Amino acid sequence: MDFFLELSQGFATLARPDVLAYMVLGFVIGTFFGAVPGLTSVLAIALLLPITYSMDVVPALVMCAAIFMSGMYAGSITATTINIPGAPSSMMTAIEGYALMKKGEGANALGHAALGSMIGGSLGALLLMALMPLAAKASLLIQTPGKFSLVLFALVVIVIVQRDAIAKGLIATMLGVMIATIGIDVMQPIPRFNFGTEMLVEGIDMMPIIIGTFAISEVLYQAHQNHGDLRISLSQAASATIRRRDFLPSFAQIREIGIITYLKSTLLGYGIGILPGVGGSMAAFVAYADAKRRSRRPDTYGNGSREGIAAAETANNSMCGGAFVPMLMFGIPGDPTTAIVLGVLVINGLQPGPRLLETQTDLIAPMFASLFVSALVLIPLTLFLLGPWFVRIVSIPKGLLYACIAVVALVGSYVATFSIFQMALALLFGILAFFLRQQNYPTVSLLLGFILGPDLEQYLRRSLSLSDGNPIVFLTSPDSLFFLALLAVFIYFMAIRKPKQAGIEGKTTV
Amino acid sequence: MAMREMRWRKRLLLPLFLLVLTTIYVVATFRITPQFSEGLVGPRFLPLLAALLMYAALVYVIRRELASDEESGKGAFWQPVAVVLATAAYIALFKPFGYSLATLLYVYALFHIFHYQQGRPLRRLLYAIAVTAVFYGLFALVFGIRLPTLLDII
Repeated sequence: MDFFLELSQGFATLARPDVLAYMVLGFVIGTFFGAVPGLTSVLAIALLLPITYSMDVVPALVMCAAIFMSGMYAGSITATTINIPGAPSSMMTAIEGYALMKKGEGANALGHAALGSMIGGSLGALLLMALMPLAAKASLLIQTPGKFSLVLFALVVIVIVQRDAIAKGLIATMLGVMIATIGIDVMQPIPRFNFGTEMLVEGIDMMPIIIGTFAISEVLYQAHQNHGDLRISLSQAASATIRRRDFLPSFAQIREIGIITYLKSTLLGYGIGILPGVGGSMAAFVAYADAKRRSRRPDTYGNGSREGIAAAETANNSMCGGAFVPMLMFGIPGDPTTAIVLGVLVINGLQPGPRLLETQTDLIAPMFASLFVSALVLIPLTLFLLGPWFVRIVSIPKGLLYACIAVVALVGSYVATFSIFQMALALLFGILAFFLRQQNYPTVSLLLGFILGPDLEQYLRRSLSLSDGNPIVFLTSPDSLFFLALLAVFIYFMAIRKPKQAGIEGKTTV
Repeated sequence: MAMREMRWRKRLLLPLFLLVLTTIYVVATFRITPQFSEGLVGPRFLPLLAALLMYAALVYVIRRELASDEESGKGAFWQPVAVVLATAAYIALFKPFGYSLATLLYVYALFHIFHYQQGRPLRRLLYAIAVTAVFYGLFALVFGIRLPTLLDII
């Protein structure tokens, strides 16, 4: 009951003009980064991370939540208007939205995307708030061997979710784990892998990894990809004329999509959000595929299905709520954005875990409120106010844009610790991430491996020292056994069963 | 044939680099001296396990790359190299030149690399000054962060 009282106070905090201003600013930043192809909300929060050193924790978290929600929604804008998904999670929306755009119904497609995002985002946030006390109680039952198996489960899911590139996913994850082992050992006061330098004794900070992986590598990647063609074609922008009154989806269209589609996509997105490293793209894809499978009009898919847009957008926004559960309870991020939000928590001295909910709800409740209000109020409001100019807003010259990103990233990595070494590390990780991206290695796995590696090692060694080195403890401890069984189920369904089916299909077609 | 060989050689550079990096890491792992024994699972255990998994995955990737006929992604070569060089110079000059001058030069260089305001050097300079001033305002004035200055002036 206390928790829900604290939650209501979180809404009151959000209503404070200064906090509200940060939420609106975050939402606008997230919309811009989500809508511009190549930029993502992850990059926006990565750039914000160094600035949070100079901010109070509540506005910083409120801003992060607003960026997360708006970034997930805004990907649908360019996906619909010019067939370029602003974010990877809007891939499915591009298929259906752009088909509607070509039929002259682009505004209606944007309206359905906003409605789906609004429903999914707000229900996902409500689910997060309602289930958080239960998750906190459940997490108290998990002991050290169980924590090890949970982190192991998370790491394995991060790898096997890269279905076509499991080996590359493993390499990126292990690279992250290896970088995390630099510095003082997790159990003994001895330095590891410092190669005789003082600067590496304390280990590598999360900041240069995030800035390098998401900001510097993006600048390098864009420099590599573009040869002068650095602006969204103005002819494309001009052709995408949108009128405000056309945004509103009709009641008949909403009834045709059906409440079941919205609710099922919300639950699918939320559930997928809880899984570590999976993220919005998978949520949108699974919900879209499910909606198509049980649709009464599957023939409309690919030709402008409003149901497809609704399913994908509902799921990717409800994922936002789910992704916070493992991050806040166990320090296991559900996706790259929550991985960086974890960095904001750590920078401000907050430790994820059930005690966070008991003792510091006043700090995290406004973040939950921001997630909810961003989805319920700001998504439709932004569409109404900025909708007609969306494409012009995102057609900013990329030379100017990437110069600004590079300056914010580098100066940001300096101001965090006033260290030139941190700037150099950001560049180094940026170069590494650029080459990884260029050859289709998932760089998000590198960050998640870096975050989870120390936890894995610590829980493993603690469990074994408590059980006199007997590894059977992982099978005799019920919570640990549960996560290991869950891991076996996931490996079966995601890495063993599906490839076999694909193989059979491949044989029959040949 | 020569082109094909060059392509897979290019694709192999990253896994081979990671292979060398992992080997250096393994050598460093054996130099860790624990203060007390924890049995098998001590300070060396996870690094060695990570390196082992890394080797296995790298061997798999290298074998696939050798067998594959896939072309690596096309893109400009000199532009990312120029960005890296400009960024390295910016980092080196950030403290001696101060935020303002170093950032102005860096932004101007990035505009040049990204062909922004090509053929209009004055306009390019004005935009570079504007970007430098905007972020000075954000970091120094809004957030009150002390940025390096040149001769304690700018």
